[in-house]
Amino acid sequence: MAEPDYDGPILEIDNLSISFFTRLREIPAVMDFSVSVQPGEAVGLVGESGCGKSTVALGVMRDLGVNGRIVGGTIRFKGRDLGTMSASELRHIRGNEIAMIYQEPMASLNPAMKVGRQLMEVPMIHERVSEKEARARALDVVNDVKLPDPERILDSYPHQLSGGQQQRIVIAMALMSKPALLILDEPTTALDVTVEAAVVDLVKGLGRKYGTSMLFISHNLGLVLETCDRICVMYSGEAVETGSIKDVFDKMQHPYTQALFRSIPLPGTDKNAHPLKAIPGNFPLPDERPPGCNFGPRCDYFQAGLCDAGDIPMAGIEGDDRHLTRCLRFADIDWHAPVEAMAQHEAGKPGRVVLRMDRLRKYYEVAANALFGGGGALKVVKANESLSFEARESETLAIVGESGCGKSTFAKVLMGLETATDGEILLDGRNIEHIPIEKRDTQTVADIQMVFQNPFDTLNPSMTVGRQIMRALEVFGIGASDQARRDEMLRLLDIVKLPREFGDRMPRQLSGGQKQRVGIARAFAGGARIVVADEPVSALDVSVQAAVTDLLMEIQREHKTTLLFISHDLSIVRYLSDRVMVMYLGHVVELGTTDQVFSPPYHPYTEALLSAVPIADTSVQKTHIVLEGDVPSAMDPPPGCPFQTRCRWKSEVPGNLCETEVPPQRDLAPGHQVKCHLSQEMLDRMEPVIRVAAE
Amino acid sequence: MDLLSWGEIILRMFGRFMPVWIALAVTFALSITFKRRLGLYGKLFDSPIGMVGFGLVMFWVFTGILGGGFDMILTHPVLEQSASMKNKVPGTPYTKMMGEAAEGAYPYYLLGGDNLGRDVFSRMVVGSWEVIKIAPFASLFAFMVGITLGLPAGYYGGRLDTLLSFLANLILAFPVILLFYLLVTPEIVLTGIPVYMAAVLFIFPIVFLVLLWNSRFHTQPKTRNIYVGITLVVGLWLYSGIAWNADPLGLIGFPPNLLVVFVAVVFVNSPTVFRIVRGLTMDIKTRDYVAAAQTRGEGTWYIMLWEILPNVRGPLLVDFCLRIGYTTILLGTLGFFGLGLSPESPDWGSTINEGRKLLSLYLHPALPPALRAAEPRSGAQPAGRRSARGKPARLSI
Repeated sequence: MAEPDYDGPILEIDNLSISFFTRLREIPAVMDFSVSVQPGEAVGLVGESGCGKSTVALGVMRDLGVNGRIVGGTIRFKGRDLGTMSASELRHIRGNEIAMIYQEPMASLNPAMKVGRQLMEVPMIHERVSEKEARARALDVVNDVKLPDPERILDSYPHQLSGGQQQRIVIAMALMSKPALLILDEPTTALDVTVEAAVVDLVKGLGRKYGTSMLFISHNLGLVLETCDRICVMYSGEAVETGSIKDVFDKMQHPYTQALFRSIPLPGTDKNAHPLKAIPGNFPLPDERPPGCNFGPRCDYFQAGLCDAGDIPMAGIEGDDRHLTRCLRFADIDWHAPVEAMAQHEAGKPGRVVLRMDRLRKYYEVAANALFGGGGALKVVKANESLSFEARESETLAIVGESGCGKSTFAKVLMGLETATDGEILLDGRNIEHIPIEKRDTQTVADIQMVFQNPFDTLNPSMTVGRQIMRALEVFGIGASDQARRDEMLRLLDIVKLPREFGDRMPRQLSGGQKQRVGIARAFAGGARIVVADEPVSALDVSVQAAVTDLLMEIQREHKTTLLFISHDLSIVRYLSDRVMVMYLGHVVELGTTDQVFSPPYHPYTEALLSAVPIADTSVQKTHIVLEGDVPSAMDPPPGCPFQTRCRWKSEVPGNLCETEVPPQRDLAPGHQVKCHLSQEMLDRMEPVIRVAAE
Repeated sequence: MDLLSWGEIILRMFGRFMPVWIALAVTFALSITFKRRLGLYGKLFDSPIGMVGFGLVMFWVFTGILGGGFDMILTHPVLEQSASMKNKVPGTPYTKMMGEAAEGAYPYYLLGGDNLGRDVFSRMVVGSWEVIKIAPFASLFAFMVGITLGLPAGYYGGRLDTLLSFLANLILAFPVILLFYLLVTPEIVLTGIPVYMAAVLFIFPIVFLVLLWNSRFHTQPKTRNIYVGITLVVGLWLYSGIAWNADPLGLIGFPPNLLVVFVAVVFVNSPTVFRIVRGLTMDIKTRDYVAAAQTRGEGTWYIMLWEILPNVRGPLLVDFCLRIGYTTILLGTLGFFGLGLSPESPDWGSTINEGRKLLSLYLHPALPPALRAAEPRSGAQPAGRRSARGKPARLSI
């Protein structure tokens, strides 16, 4: 179908307001929101969860469900008002001219249909092309998204592909009809960092190739910096600042944008010398928004009588390109004032060795025939291969790696949920690797505790917060009576800076950050000396992350706790850890102090990881390294070095050493170990991945 | 006296149900006033469907309790026969003998008389009492059995799960009606099989409660001993009375007929409950709070009963409400075949069956109980579904 020529903005959203209606009341989700996307432009939509960014995307697709309704404003696509279109006109546009990519790739693909069929459907439905042509196009697009062996991919079912491959297929599907606008709703959140970097790279390249406009929704400022031309920051249903990436990142004109940047760990922050500045208070619920500026109650520049007087319009900033801010005082604020110095802390001195791992191994046997155990070939999954390290009192040891690297297995073995296959775990010189948790004495159990990743999963939803902490106290034998335990519970709530009334609340009444604090209180109930924190902040919003991280650090300083911090987020690892251990497929590939790991020489995998992490700072330049392929399955690891299938330095090693032999552990400097075949001079030639441009 | 018209019959029935209306009105008034403070139960009153369902159920619950328990609504004793009232149509004036009005008795058979000249209306009212006495308790017992076996099957998995699931499937694969026929036939009853089954099935609630208290309070032996002690004393006393009819105090007894029906209902219901609990447990056991309990060294029964079970209550509650409905139907089916309860029992199933013989001639004795038997079930469903909405952990079965 020939579309009339149109050269205005692809998408124009004007004063859009969207509300959801419940039986009791109307809940405004998006208010007075305006943005426009020019042809070939990528616009980033950034904000914390609940700020309405996904609602905007759904509004553009006119897919708000039965409860949602556009209550004001217009959405114009290529000059036509989407709000007045009929259902059949909308069907023509959806998937054809506007395509959407969602967060969870597995949920976007039909598991009962071959990938090829699903791709072919798009042109067959929208353009009524023949099956043959559709297949040829599908093949083309799969080639474009850089999937190996496209013929085989087209003939597989979604579950036969890895997460990264699935997301590429979803992108391919979106591109099948060469849409004018692509909406990406957190397209990489479910993927590993190195896979994310590759997917982002792909999206950028394809956007340029097809000239597609993009609306990129994300909570990650670094990612938006890498992919977009313009950015729109949202807070509590409103756009608070829009402008070009450069203007907003370097010359921000809204207090919320500023606070957001101050709460994310950028290079140069440090837990002792330059701590992060958390945004005080909580995100307002949609029905508890304050009058006037929504950010007012949490703002450092709040002025009573002005900021809470009435609705605040967007104001343009002169001299910048379409740079708008929703702040009345932006002209009065000195944006270059140095950050108010936060309390600085004395760096904790690592004490004696508390925990020592010695060549710890954990293998799982997987029977091919699971029903009756025996019979069939036994496969061995080597989840952990010779882990050796020690951890000292009041030290933070970060364990970094992508999914499948064996960090969770390691945590399970340490906690005693599994027993080690070989090697030793010494807690204060006692062997505990072979004692399952039910045989450990109470003190050992209380000494090693864990903080979990998902705040919505970490607390039992049908028990009050206080009850759950008191149960931990009961089990650890603390407090003689219920009253004593209750007092202790209240004290623990004080420590994690939660009001005492929270003891009687149900977990659903708490926000994510508050739940995570309860999780921390529970872990410290028995006076834990070693705490395994499994991505404790990765599921939290950036502004809350800083506060929870700070809390962990503070408790650590006070109790001299050993913190084993499992994470894939290298920014936060650099910010808070003393030493870093990088794992890949069960092997420790690099171990050293934070400075040693974050500066060359690197292990090739560390180098790729560092390059993959998006950093929200325009002055940072990164070496661009994209890893091909996915992490191999632990069921079927490659021979020789585990990383050899994706390593870009492999050609620098003479012979086929990498493919035949597991590299030995080498000491590069005191306390800095690397598992790599690269010669010393090659390692010395490595350049730093992250460079901060001189200011 | 003349025959009553349908309008008059309905008016008079409405009048007889007055105590029920009052009870319903009080219940609704109190519940709606305090609905914000009543948690889950209060949520029911936020939706019209929930209220209608709840109203239907409570109507029959009150009818059963007030009519069967307190003799309030009945117009005539359920077993009293009147020679002149055989197969009379609804609204027929009551006479003890031919032509002779009875002194002090209610002057009409509102829904007519059955083939023995008994009042259909009164029998219908009392019939609800039979259902209320058995259905919820049988469902409750089925749940205890299903939960106590389903939790470990889902939690441990592996061979235990394979074995228990196999047994459950074995029972499920057997046609329910056939199983009932087998269980309640006098020959089987004489072999004592139902009593042994009762002995096995009724021990589960005691096991369940003991595990519940012990896992929760094992860190405080004093409290634990009190709870476990009370459970054991009361439980074993009831157990000896109900299952073996050997109550040392002679207070508790269970009519053998009723026991057989009860056991049969529990037996066929528990495998389904087992499967639901097992499936839900497999889902919940991967949650972080379960891992948190494991890492602080909790026992497995604590994790199953206190961490997992409370979070599967939504789907279980829905199923419980449905199951009461199924049980009503099952009881009706049994009664219809003349199995189980005593022959004169006014339960709805036997009444329908007696009326069936006359169906071609007279419709009225079978119809009211048939409609009634369908009603609590259709009421319980929306009520249960409503109450499970908006809960913290909502799972689909």
